[in-house]
Amino acid sequence: MDMRFTPDEQAFAAEVRDFLQAELDPALAEKNRLHKPLTKAEMEGWHAKLNAKGWLAGNWPREFGGAGWTAIQRHIYEEESAKAHAPRIVPFGIAMLGPVLQKFGSKEQQDYWLPRILNGDDWWCQGYSEPGAGSDLAGLRCRAERQGDHYVVNGQKTWTTLGQHANMIFCLVRTSTEGKKQEGISFLLIDMETPGVSVRPIVLLDGTAEVNEVFFDDVKVPVENLVGTENEGWTYAKYLLTHERTNIAGVGFATAALDNLKRVAKAQIHRGKPLDQDPLFAAQIATTEIELMAMSTTNLRMLSAAAQGQAPGVESSMLKIKGTQIRQQLDALTRRAYGGWAQALPMETGNQGQPLDADDVLSATAGYLNNRKLSIYGGSNEIQRGIIAGTLAKG
Amino acid sequence: MDFALSDEHRMLQDTLRGLLTRHQGDDLWPALAEAGVIGALLTEDEGGFDGSGSAIALTFEELGRAGASLPLVAAMIGASALAAAGQGDLAAEVAEGSARVAFADAEPGTRYDRGVAIRAEGDRLTGRKTMVAGAEDARAIIVTTADALWLVDAKASGLTLNAYPLMEGGRGADLTFEATPATRLGALSDFGAVLSRGVLGHSAYALGGIIAATELTLDYLKTRKQFGRAILEFQALAHRVADMAVEVEQARSAVTNLSGHLTADPAIRDRHVQACKATVGRVARLVAEESVQLHGGIGMTEEYALAGMIRRLLAADTAMGDADYHLERFAHGEPAWA
Repeated sequence: MDMRFTPDEQAFAAEVRDFLQAELDPALAEKNRLHKPLTKAEMEGWHAKLNAKGWLAGNWPREFGGAGWTAIQRHIYEEESAKAHAPRIVPFGIAMLGPVLQKFGSKEQQDYWLPRILNGDDWWCQGYSEPGAGSDLAGLRCRAERQGDHYVVNGQKTWTTLGQHANMIFCLVRTSTEGKKQEGISFLLIDMETPGVSVRPIVLLDGTAEVNEVFFDDVKVPVENLVGTENEGWTYAKYLLTHERTNIAGVGFATAALDNLKRVAKAQIHRGKPLDQDPLFAAQIATTEIELMAMSTTNLRMLSAAAQGQAPGVESSMLKIKGTQIRQQLDALTRRAYGGWAQALPMETGNQGQPLDADDVLSATAGYLNNRKLSIYGGSNEIQRGIIAGTLAKG
Repeated sequence: MDFALSDEHRMLQDTLRGLLTRHQGDDLWPALAEAGVIGALLTEDEGGFDGSGSAIALTFEELGRAGASLPLVAAMIGASALAAAGQGDLAAEVAEGSARVAFADAEPGTRYDRGVAIRAEGDRLTGRKTMVAGAEDARAIIVTTADALWLVDAKASGLTLNAYPLMEGGRGADLTFEATPATRLGALSDFGAVLSRGVLGHSAYALGGIIAATELTLDYLKTRKQFGRAILEFQALAHRVADMAVEVEQARSAVTNLSGHLTADPAIRDRHVQACKATVGRVARLVAEESVQLHGGIGMTEEYALAGMIRRLLAADTAMGDADYHLERFAHGEPAWA
């Protein structure tokens, strides 16, 4: 056994750190650290810097313009960029649609859409969930009817993250009600500027509006925007979800959150001393740190197995549960470290006032509330437990 | 043994329920005052007519169920402090609802210590208090320091106010004191009785929110269908809402314990202050987090009723020391107010 990264991997990590040092604007990193919503231009600007370096699509094979990184390299990039508070790569084009087009798209679709993703010509969003189809995703009802050389789409999608910035949406739509519900689903690419598409923001309980509802009212979509075969979309959807679940452990985010928690606990006063000297609170930090140490190695063990060609099984479900528990616990402790100070939220709009010298406090409260989503989205933790139990039962 | 409300208190509860369905926002305070609800929170010495644990618990529980976020704990502490300072007239105005006071307790830079960001020199205060609910509307402000309670006129020299929205609803402020004249009312422990009533108010308010969030969650699980059936039929979810229901009863009993021991010997009363806040704070956070999780995405949205409940539950845990703060003092056998 050798738990160290190889010399090549260590060199890669150093290269990532150098890149972040040179290219990441400290003001942008600070804004990101404080969980403030980034503008579209800020996210696009970061993508452009990564693309110039050839690193925007670390997960794509080189033949499609990707970096062709190994799972370990991707992990190193994600961990270093989270520690540096670099913006996340917006996943919808790069991490989700790209791999689906590469595996199931036509040559024409690959040649047209993939370079546009890398160049930032399109901003993609994800049209999966519906008001009546959340955990039961295959119960979706958004209809697409074939009429000549078009599909006509009617229905609604929801929880569309950053849909307010998007000009394109990839959608699961119902093209048949025959047979099992999974068998009548198709994967469609829809231009959001088509007449009949409307977007409505959903404000979340931390006051931010990062998700949306998207409505389709007789929206005409050319048939060439169908990916793969009609009624086979569920296969592509599941393939995409396995990619959505990479970096699911969020080790880098947790490490950054732990560092921040320790900094806060050192600064906050409790019974006349720094809070990190309080046995009760220190034990809670330590418990979470120990969990993170183990989970981080679980993550690496699974990445290493994947690198050696073992098919991923229930591991991603396990990492999702443990990873989100750890991050939510870190967020909860950080908010609580501020005690009576943590009773306000950042206000992005309006002139309603803000507490003095409290940017970090506001971000801790907002971050705690916002990250309650971690155990809900991408397949709730209850769904993940079902997957694990189902697999164990078969074994 | 009888845990039922007295006839008077049942009438108070009916009155409140009626008012809370008819009035909201700025309307509510004058309506509560006119109906004698503020007076019911205060003793005769403070310009009211009741002030019992039972009256306080039932009033704040109803406010918590309805999600009416009002600085009424400040009114209780304020009226008591004003009466003690010989300002009975202003206390009476508070009881009538024509004057408001604010209670400045939390400080920046510390979890729940008092006197870290603010200090007293002679009869002047210098430093800062934060998250002071209702400060913009207050005629007077009751301020805590390391060991004492102070009265400050809202127009006093050297006092500046920076106001903003609070996450529980309503507005709060940072107060900056620069050699601001203040009247020392006494040691915190001298006001242990009314401060304990404040904790009861916050705890009962949280209890109302805990009940409302649990009911809303149960309703949702009964009506939300996935995989062709109501999601309450999934045992993994049903057991979690059952656990919430068990904890609701623990929270209610912790509130009942404090309510029943408000006038007990201070050493006994303080154990119940700490036990109540430790229990209710823990349950409030548990119910807040479980409610969001059991709802799923809809529970994350501002438009849905749960959002406000969650923020009020977190705020109620935080007010006047959270569960950990009181747990630690309970473990060490320390008084609640020192």
